[in-house]
Amino acid sequence: MCPDGDACVARGGGSEPERGPRGASLAVGVSAPLTMFRYQSLEDCPPDEDEDAFQTLGEEDEDIDQFNDDTFGAGAIDDDWQEAHERLAELEDKPATARELEDGTVSDEMDLLGHHEENLAERLSKLVIDNELEDPAIMQAVQTQPSMLQPGGLNSSIWDGSAVLRRIRGPLLTQEMPAVSVLEYALPQKPSQTQEDERDLSERALPRRSSSPVIGSPPVRAVPIGTPPKQGAMANFNQQILCPKPVHIRAPMQQRYPAPYGERMSPNQLCNVPNSSLLGHPFPPSVTPVFTHLQRAQLLGGAQAGRMSPSQFARVSGLVGSPLASMNPKLLQGRVGQMVSPASGFRAFFGGPPPSAPTPSQQQHPPCPGSHLQNLRPHSQMFRPDTTHLHPQHRRLLHQRQQQNRNQHRSLNGSAGDRGGHRTCHQEQLRKDPYANLMLQREKDWVSKIQMMQLQSTDPYLDDFYYQNYFQKLEKVSAAEEMHGDGPKKERTKLITPQVAKLEHAYKPVQFEGSLGKLTVSSVNNPRKMIDAVVTSRSEDDETTEKQVRDKRRQTLVTIEKTYSLLLDVEDYERRYLLSLEGQRPTLMEERKQKICDMYDNLRGKMPGQERLSDDHFVQIMCIRKGKRMVARILPFLSPEQATDILMATARNLPFLIKKDAQDEVLPCLLRPFSLVLYHLPSETVTSLLQQLANLPQSATAPAPANLHLAAVLQNKFGLSLLYLVLSRGEELQSSHDATELMQDNQWTELMFTATRELLRIPQAALAKPVSTPSNLLSLFSRYVDQQKLNVLETKLQLVQGIR
Amino acid sequence: GRIFCPWGRISPLPSSPSPPPPVSWQLFYSFFKSLVGKDVVVELKNDLSICGTLHSVDQYLNIKLTDISVTDPEKYPHMLSVKNCFIRGSVVRYVQLPADEVDTQLLQDAARKEALQQKQ
Repeated sequence: MCPDGDACVARGGGSEPERGPRGASLAVGVSAPLTMFRYQSLEDCPPDEDEDAFQTLGEEDEDIDQFNDDTFGAGAIDDDWQEAHERLAELEDKPATARELEDGTVSDEMDLLGHHEENLAERLSKLVIDNELEDPAIMQAVQTQPSMLQPGGLNSSIWDGSAVLRRIRGPLLTQEMPAVSVLEYALPQKPSQTQEDERDLSERALPRRSSSPVIGSPPVRAVPIGTPPKQGAMANFNQQILCPKPVHIRAPMQQRYPAPYGERMSPNQLCNVPNSSLLGHPFPPSVTPVFTHLQRAQLLGGAQAGRMSPSQFARVSGLVGSPLASMNPKLLQGRVGQMVSPASGFRAFFGGPPPSAPTPSQQQHPPCPGSHLQNLRPHSQMFRPDTTHLHPQHRRLLHQRQQQNRNQHRSLNGSAGDRGGHRTCHQEQLRKDPYANLMLQREKDWVSKIQMMQLQSTDPYLDDFYYQNYFQKLEKVSAAEEMHGDGPKKERTKLITPQVAKLEHAYKPVQFEGSLGKLTVSSVNNPRKMIDAVVTSRSEDDETTEKQVRDKRRQTLVTIEKTYSLLLDVEDYERRYLLSLEGQRPTLMEERKQKICDMYDNLRGKMPGQERLSDDHFVQIMCIRKGKRMVARILPFLSPEQATDILMATARNLPFLIKKDAQDEVLPCLLRPFSLVLYHLPSETVTSLLQQLANLPQSATAPAPANLHLAAVLQNKFGLSLLYLVLSRGEELQSSHDATELMQDNQWTELMFTATRELLRIPQAALAKPVSTPSNLLSLFSRYVDQQKLNVLETKLQLVQGIR
Repeated sequence: GRIFCPWGRISPLPSSPSPPPPVSWQLFYSFFKSLVGKDVVVELKNDLSICGTLHSVDQYLNIKLTDISVTDPEKYPHMLSVKNCFIRGSVVRYVQLPADEVDTQLLQDAARKEALQQKQ
């Protein structure tokens, strides 16, 4: 008897195909697919199907079962649900022995491959009283007899029966991409089940998935997904029935019970399919990390051949319910093996040892996670951040912070405090978490694997730039601090992220056969073209001066950005140099030099094949805040001449720049690179620099009453600081051994007089506050001014610290 | 049984159930990763502001916060008992950060690099 009587062409077993009008139509419908599959008989198949439908059908009667496997996965039998129901109703009255179940399960839960399917099938077959309906051929092939009957609505006993163990295991073990796996039937609550709460959670095996599949119509949910069960942890009962139609699923029943079916088992116990990944008790959904093979590799002490991927496991922290310390190594191996094979990218993680030989590396693993887990256990509370994958610096910071918090709490609350109480309360709740174990560990791993695959990057340095550099900087800072402090340095662990080989995908848009033209299939990689943007360039005539000004600024901004890209590239060269091979290094150096020159040209506005005419370009750049910052960053890379040139240009236009900088006040960022440049300057350069600052023409003219240029400089923080630096440098040169030339330099003396004059003249209030006052200024001034003025200068400029 | 499933073998699920996030979010992801463990305030598009410690973030910029408290006057009493939460990335309007945890120069560099990458 078929529930969908209409759809049934014929019954299993020796029954005749239905003939007659209905039979004819059905036969026609059937023969078409028949011919599809029966390749060898294509030639035989008569062109006129209507006539020969019966014939064909008759011919194929003996082979009618040939395709059972294809169609049903050999999982379907015709079952009499009513009888099954009655049978099970009997069973229900006699509760099973709990112990038996448990023992049976424990031994079987590790069985991922469904070795006991056959046994179970036999036992089940005993249950099925009415055998005459079964086709012996089918029975041989079938390993389960689930009857996915749906008389409408939830009839508990139906599910309780053979329908029970319809777990389709994710195909991880069968070398396919993992797929659907949660297939359990919604089971109504039975009072007799309360005792089995714990057991329920502990076992769920995945029956072996041997062949076809599944899925026809959308799942019918007897109980809506996500409904928390009424009693305790009955998470098994939030389920999906994947195929309401009968006989599609091959869902072999996992052997779970040592006792035959006929023995005392409550129907609901049958539903509790052994769960391979749970071991005896539910997981606290605390964030104990899932120990995938990659994390284990990490645990094994970091950069084992650089196979860590801490940053890429940022998301694994979300995973819940990892197997606890008593994790079965076999499980791991089984799981790991599969995880590696589908994703070729993951091969990179194992690098040398190919995935086909994971066992040697894995043998080290089982002891590790256990120990680590034990370490983590005392810490684990709800939602503790999973820190195993973070940069070591980051991890340290996090731990410090957490300890601080903990201490704070302790001090606040006296005892273990809120957190402690909270913790135990949580843990209790966790034990009875109604949402636990909705997914198998394998399923969770699969989902996380997908996420991880998306995180695979060909260049982790580039993709994860901010994170990596941020912590590198932190480390440098803390290293610098430590150098001053304690002697021995802490172990500097490095964050190593594995790299996946770049796969070149030539994207080919989907093409359909037999279609006229190309059909556009819009997807993530190939989004539909919404806007047709066309670039049009404006003609010169239309522009007004305002526009021109705006455009000029825009042009400058573009130049700045271009130069910035060059700068970032140049800054990166050191790293690339270290990574590159010997032969490539000269090329790299050349490239770097070239880029530096380009940067300089950009700065000075030099077009190739043109002499630099004005500072205008440079000044424009310096008017923009990010331009100034960029110059500060570029300076260390420039050659001394180039750097000097920049310095001169800055000094020349300083008042203008000061005016423009009034809002941003970013000029002081230039001081440090300028000072670095200054320390290498020869004396004549220093002189001319001072000249620029003072804005005196080459030949000394009649001294102006007030040197506006210099005055402006003095009133500005940057200007004053720069002046000090220059003066300091001059003093250095003078006081050094071969300083005679500076002494003899008239210009220098002139300039010094000018400078000191201006310094004396300017009211103290107007004087800016310099970033730092060099100590040798006093001695410098003493050469050029008398004692009285020296004292004035001293107090004004606060040249001497401390008590005189 | 002699029922033939006319559509043959159906592959159960696609290899990636959700589309990958845009490349332009990589910087945000990297940035938020560096903020894990810090206190932030997340303002959602429904005007709810949640203050908490950033526990984790993923490539879709979904955020998990621990020890949360609703910053605004507690006109959201249903949040009183909530200690930890998961926020889907698409509903976030703002994330307020501690300023000293951010290296703006590095962030600018990262943004420039990402822009360069996208151009290529």
